[in-house]
Amino acid sequence: MTSSMTNVLNRSQKKANRPSDEQLAAFGAELDALRERTLSDLGERDARYIRRIVAAVRYTEVIGRGLLFFGLFPPAWIVGTLLLGISKILDNMELGHNVMHGQYDWMNDPHLNGKTFEWDLVGTGDHWRKTHNYSHHTYTNIKGMDEDIGYGVLRLFPEQRWRPFFLGQPIYAIIFALLFQWGVAIQDLRFGKFFNGKKSGKEMLEEMKPFLKKTRRQLVKDYVIFPLLAGPFFVPVILGNLVANGIRNLWTYTIIFCGHFTADVQLFPKSVLKNETRGHWYFRQIRGSSNLTGSKLLHVMSGNLSHQIEHHLFPDIPAHRYAELSVEVRAICQRYGVHYNRGSLVSQFSQVIWRILRYSLPSRYVPINASA
Amino acid sequence: MMASQTLKRIVAPLVDPAVYDFWAQKISPTLSWDRCLARIESRHIEARDTVSLILKPNRQFQGFQPGQHLNVTVEVNGIRLTRSYSPSDTLRSDGRIRLTVKAIPEGRVSRHLVHHSKVGDVLELGAAFGDMTLPKEAAAWLLVAAGSGITPIMSLLQTLLQKPLEQPVALIYWARTRADLCFSEDLHSLTNRDPLLKIHTVLTREDHRLADELGGRPREALFRNLIPDLERRRVYVCGPDGFVTSVRGLLEPHAALFRAESFSPAPVVTRAGAPVTVTLSKSNVSVQVPSGTPLLKALEDSGLKPAYGCRMGICNTCSCQKQTGSTTDTRNGAVQNEPGPVRLCINSANSDLTLEL
Repeated sequence: MTSSMTNVLNRSQKKANRPSDEQLAAFGAELDALRERTLSDLGERDARYIRRIVAAVRYTEVIGRGLLFFGLFPPAWIVGTLLLGISKILDNMELGHNVMHGQYDWMNDPHLNGKTFEWDLVGTGDHWRKTHNYSHHTYTNIKGMDEDIGYGVLRLFPEQRWRPFFLGQPIYAIIFALLFQWGVAIQDLRFGKFFNGKKSGKEMLEEMKPFLKKTRRQLVKDYVIFPLLAGPFFVPVILGNLVANGIRNLWTYTIIFCGHFTADVQLFPKSVLKNETRGHWYFRQIRGSSNLTGSKLLHVMSGNLSHQIEHHLFPDIPAHRYAELSVEVRAICQRYGVHYNRGSLVSQFSQVIWRILRYSLPSRYVPINASA
Repeated sequence: MMASQTLKRIVAPLVDPAVYDFWAQKISPTLSWDRCLARIESRHIEARDTVSLILKPNRQFQGFQPGQHLNVTVEVNGIRLTRSYSPSDTLRSDGRIRLTVKAIPEGRVSRHLVHHSKVGDVLELGAAFGDMTLPKEAAAWLLVAAGSGITPIMSLLQTLLQKPLEQPVALIYWARTRADLCFSEDLHSLTNRDPLLKIHTVLTREDHRLADELGGRPREALFRNLIPDLERRRVYVCGPDGFVTSVRGLLEPHAALFRAESFSPAPVVTRAGAPVTVTLSKSNVSVQVPSGTPLLKALEDSGLKPAYGCRMGICNTCSCQKQTGSTTDTRNGAVQNEPGPVRLCINSANSDLTLEL
């Protein structure tokens, strides 16, 4: 064995290193303490922050839509479309995603209630609360339970079996990115079951009702009402809305894929759930997530999902706190020898693209490591 | 008004109340699609640790009857908190409401309103409730107040005095010291207004009482001396819990009618395992569950099926609004006595609860 190969092996062994049960118990206790300390400090500062985000969503939307009415003038169209895209990104990520986790429930403000909040996306809030808040956050990176692993269309891990279908994956990935909000919206409708006859058309239609209602509302808003308000200048408004939705789709796709599909993240078998301790649950969240390093702007625009690890550890703590929490989480991980996966957007997203390309091609099926 | 109501109904499906409120409040801070907001127009120190706030509510305000109270919601350190306060004035033609609030040592809302609220601050008001209201017909009254229990009583008294009295009315008002008496000037001027009105003040901790001031706790002799015709009086009482209980024992058997309201005490916290009643307000169901057990499990053991997901406090699926009662977060032991969202899987009951389920 050459020394470089030994290094690679050591490196990957080190990353997959799982502390002993006693160590994990202490590890969990330290993270619990960090959580309690933060929760007890929530107050005015957090309320002010989320209201500033609400204001940013509202102002960018109004100015963006306003400029699009003058969309025949190209600079107005470009700035208007960008602002509307930014508004939709903030609404989806820093506001909607975080509020729907119940991060601001302690404020007791009916407009910021996790159970009732609705966002500017075709997917309904209720659907998201089920697939994301429950399935994805509880069963993070457990093969067969977390449906966010490849979203049912992509093979991103050698632990998924290869089929010839996946040869087209680079193309599907691009289509999926452009239509990301639609992909997420229909995730729980399980069209597969309908196509292979396990669900009747009537059942399918019944389940689709809330989605169709929300979709109609979104489409009428972006592609009928606002264009009509522009009168004869409706074409630039339609195009601006289309592009703004597209920008938001591409950006959210990029951020979310960087959160769980970078090179070093780990998958887990269902067996981990048996008697899983708090400490091991924390460990699984960390090993299944990866962070992005970057400026404050990146963190805000990603809804602080750039701190994916902290988000998975503490999904109900206001996300703007993750930056300060991450310093301590890293230190705790270091003490217990738990690999803390972080990198720049370029480096992490390159790893995602590599996975999309690599696993579109056949590779040896790796049975999932039961000792993880 | 009618036309605007109709217009509102037509456009309602297109309006997101959160967006409407955001922009409307840039124009005026109390504008709202569906919530009753009120602005503090002025503040007046009424007594020791007590202020009167003059509020101007928006058009969503449904009004109140003298003697009723309103749920008042304020934001303190980022958290919206709700308490009941009584207007202390009669209905005013300009639509303003006077709330009188006494700061109590551990009271987060009362301390905020008394010490930190400013002219221009906005509060939210709920619908008025309470059945200590005035009937149409004239009657002989005995009004009894202790401490800040004077607020609904003052509203009742001023409403009675809007017309010349036909039958006698008496107010007996307990306070600790003279500095704790609210509305001193108003009460003095009222005394001279109608010969059928008698006002007595009783001070329990004042060292040097004046000639017309009485002392001591409620007792039969005091009531008999001041109100010889007790049998024909209708009695309304408002004050702390203990005070109201003792006055009830003395007066209820003798008076023509007796009604009382006390400041709601903190929820009665039981020891772990003792049964508490959980009322599910939307499904109109009440069940007995053991306190100290996570609510999700306790409700399931009673045969109910609340929505749930992770069962470990992550996913928020089982979260619902707690309307009343005290709960403990089973992960860290933190006690929450305020209404607000609770996750059933990681909270247990300490007292009877009302949940919006």
